[in-house]
Amino acid sequence: MTAQLRVENLSKSFGSTRVLDRVCFTVPPGRFLVLLGPSGSGKTTLLRCLAGIERADSGRIQLGELALADGRAQLAPDRRDLAMVFQDYALWPHMTATANVEYALRRRRLDRETSRLRVARVLERVGLSGQAEQYPHELSGGQQQRVALARALVAEPGLLLFDEPLSNLDADLRERLRVEIATLTRESGATVVYITHDQAEAFALADEIGVLEGGRLVQLGSPEDVYHRPASPFVARFTGLAGELAGQLAGGPTGSPTAARAGGADAAGAGAVLVRTAAGLVSAAATAGVAAAGGAVRVLIRPAAVTLAPAEPGDSGDPSGTVVDTAYRGRGYDHVVELPGGVRLTGIFDRAAHPRGTAVRLLLDPDGCFAFADHDSGAAPAAVSSSAADTAEPEPVRTTLEVR
Amino acid sequence: MTPTTPTPTAAQTAAADAANDAVADAATAAVAAAVRAEPATASVRRGSAHRARLRSAARALPWTLFAAVLLLPVGGFLLVAFSPRLFGQGGSWFTVGAFGQVLTGWTARALLDTCLVGAGAALLATAVATVLAWLTERTDLSGRGLWRLLLWALLLAPSYLESLGWTWLVEPQGVLSRLLGHDPAALRGVVFGPVGVVWVLASRGVPFAYLAVSALIRGMGREFEDAARTHGANRAATFRLLLPILAPALWAGFAIVFAESISDYGVAATLAAQANFPLVTGAMEQSIATFPAQFQLASAMGWLLLGLVALALLAQRRSMRGRSFTVLSGRTRPAVRSRLSARGRVAAFTGVGGFFLLALGVPAFGAAAAALLPSGGRVSASALTLANFRQVLRSGEMLSALGYSARMSVITAGAALVLGAFAGRALARRGSGATGRLLDLLLLAAIALPSVLLASGYIFTYNLPLASELGINLYGSSTLLVLGYLAGALPSAARLLAGSLGQVSDSLLWAARVHGRPAAPAWTGAVLPLVAGALLWTWLIAFCGTLLELPVSQLLAPPGEEPLSVAITRQLQGYDVGAGAAMTVLVVAAALALIGVALGALRLLLPAANRLEAVA
Repeated sequence: MTAQLRVENLSKSFGSTRVLDRVCFTVPPGRFLVLLGPSGSGKTTLLRCLAGIERADSGRIQLGELALADGRAQLAPDRRDLAMVFQDYALWPHMTATANVEYALRRRRLDRETSRLRVARVLERVGLSGQAEQYPHELSGGQQQRVALARALVAEPGLLLFDEPLSNLDADLRERLRVEIATLTRESGATVVYITHDQAEAFALADEIGVLEGGRLVQLGSPEDVYHRPASPFVARFTGLAGELAGQLAGGPTGSPTAARAGGADAAGAGAVLVRTAAGLVSAAATAGVAAAGGAVRVLIRPAAVTLAPAEPGDSGDPSGTVVDTAYRGRGYDHVVELPGGVRLTGIFDRAAHPRGTAVRLLLDPDGCFAFADHDSGAAPAAVSSSAADTAEPEPVRTTLEVR
Repeated sequence: MTPTTPTPTAAQTAAADAANDAVADAATAAVAAAVRAEPATASVRRGSAHRARLRSAARALPWTLFAAVLLLPVGGFLLVAFSPRLFGQGGSWFTVGAFGQVLTGWTARALLDTCLVGAGAALLATAVATVLAWLTERTDLSGRGLWRLLLWALLLAPSYLESLGWTWLVEPQGVLSRLLGHDPAALRGVVFGPVGVVWVLASRGVPFAYLAVSALIRGMGREFEDAARTHGANRAATFRLLLPILAPALWAGFAIVFAESISDYGVAATLAAQANFPLVTGAMEQSIATFPAQFQLASAMGWLLLGLVALALLAQRRSMRGRSFTVLSGRTRPAVRSRLSARGRVAAFTGVGGFFLLALGVPAFGAAAAALLPSGGRVSASALTLANFRQVLRSGEMLSALGYSARMSVITAGAALVLGAFAGRALARRGSGATGRLLDLLLLAAIALPSVLLASGYIFTYNLPLASELGINLYGSSTLLVLGYLAGALPSAARLLAGSLGQVSDSLLWAARVHGRPAAPAWTGAVLPLVAGALLWTWLIAFCGTLLELPVSQLLAPPGEEPLSVAITRQLQGYDVGAGAAMTVLVVAAALALIGVALGALRLLLPAANRLEAVA
């Protein structure tokens, strides 16, 4: 039942706005792909094209042996053998939970008894046996989402689509349902495409992550890949930063203490570089094109790459700063540190609290610092060369991830 | 998988699409399927934008045509005030003489009276509606369901019925004079005059104003009051603070009732005519009904009437400009109903009950009594008789009027439902651009046009020699009557359906499609049960409204056919009061029975629809 999903050169415009620009990707059978992007990046349109709700202008979608779309030719949504969980749940308000789920099973043309059993089983699996005969308006938001999940799973389709299913729920419920989605979909064996703008959700769920920017798929890879080797400043910012430092290239790895600790790391394949910033010398993973930039670079720093240490008398060579905010997070503390030059690094975790006003030393792990050629100096990374990308730069997001 | 040629599946998809979408779409799909995905170029982008514009224009075309048939005649009629020669109605190509003539003498009086009566009715209706809305939405006054039901009844009953009820009650030899044994001349003096006219128009306007005000009062929450009270405002100061917040709704209520009142024809043709208290709509009808018809004068009056309506709507717009009264937000908590004290409860009950008694009870009593009383002799309980009903049921004249009106109403309501659903859908997706805005404007224009003006326009334009030269022979046909009815019923049908169709999220239909249901079953399974109630209500409102519609019937009825409302009001001329009243009672009872049966059937056949209404 499970099948490979293949998308080739999918493009779509609304009027003169291009919302999808030659998107290509393949999801192997049974794999979980999360498409991550800010609003307006085209992820919803892409999902709706997969579902057959929206018609692509050109390109091809193939699910196993079935051509879902080829150019302007389209297979009707009901003949695509897929199921979808909608952002607003889209439960039919005049049907009970059971009836909602049963309705989606009609495509299998089962006899009444088998169908009843399957509906009961899937409702039990999502923990709604007790609410089977209730109407959507009698259910809580989380329960409604479970009905939507059961409805999508019941017919065991080859492809499952999720349209930001957790965005309307509160944080606690979101985490619980995320776990259920992860287990139930993997049990079902279906190929999954899931869209979200929440990077934490994306990293937690995905076998593979695709990052969309202005209608283009700018990076596709494993969560670790995307986190440790972001293809562009956009991807790095969207997947969570503590902050950014502007600086000048000071050469390759030197004998500075930071670089020595990193052990001459060559995380990005291009090796590490030394960058002179207002806060001091910083060693960072070099990205493609950075050497050709002629000196001006931006260092993008993951929160997890920063370790706080007490300030030492004398110049240790490490950047130093002052704690301006300390927030208790249960397992420890999140700090905001202001560096000389006014740049602030946010979300820096430490088990121990550093009170506001304390001078601290920052130990930076070059694996979590990425040097990109500075935009303004001309040589932008290839992935963000389109003019639309310049305007779509997201605000740095404080990540909740602590990948090391 | 052969990427360069369309596979059989791709051909199937194209075929499936042809079934789902417009033929033009399928053609482009087939072409595009044969050609491979072309690279993105500026010319393709321009082409698709151009295509989108063309498609949008094509979608707008049927509506434009339809509007032309329904509204253009009114344009021609309005032109005649300035250029009678253009239509062979006089000597000059351009003149404003008709306006001079209208603005002197008794028509000037009628115009002034219309304004005063309209303003009075609007003021009274808005005040009553605000109190009513506050009591039903913000206090624990009992019988809220009943009050809402009565408001609906008031909304659906044509104004001339209320006028007739009062007339039958107070006229010489009427119900009261026979019951009391002496002529209630003083009361008649009040009812047959400005006070009576204002009251009937105001009570008819209350439901409109209530709809405008109650939504805001319901959604306003208690925050504003609480904030005022905690910052030291007493009751009076709190009220003064709330008034500007309510202002847009109050203005809206006032403007709607004013516009409705000055364009009302039912009261002008009955109560006001008998009281010798001319109003503009009555004067317009008279200038057309006399021989030879004075279209030029009627047209000038039409302009003035239209100007007043536009002025009212503009004033309402202005009151909204530059202000943002977003009182409804996700955070607003529903207001807690305040408990009425025992004395407050009695006062509220008396007030609300008294209003409905005067607005509905008294006229209903007048009609029922007039229908049940014998034509002459002493009045006593034992003298009550069903003779009038028997007479009506035996008289071919009345029954044929009922039959004719019922046929016309079924056709009109059916057409209004189908066209209204399409227009409503387009209206609900107003984001789509020019089409939606145009449609919105046309519907607004059609709502704002007084029925008398509409009917006058039809008579005038379709009677022009040009019309028959063009092969349009609608004048004096039942088709024209239906068109006139439709012009009246369609705008409100479209608005009603836009509301409920707009509430049904697209994703409900798509969820059904995505989970394996083909287009038609998906719609009947996932959408129809949700809108069935609204569809039925729309049909019923259009049907009942048309069944008893007066102005269009009066002006456009083809020779040899008499619509129901015309037959009933003709009884007023005095030759058979009992039969007219009996007919009215029968028709209203039948209409109520029809509504009851239809809603009962809906409840039986689609229990879900009913439950949803309860949820809402």
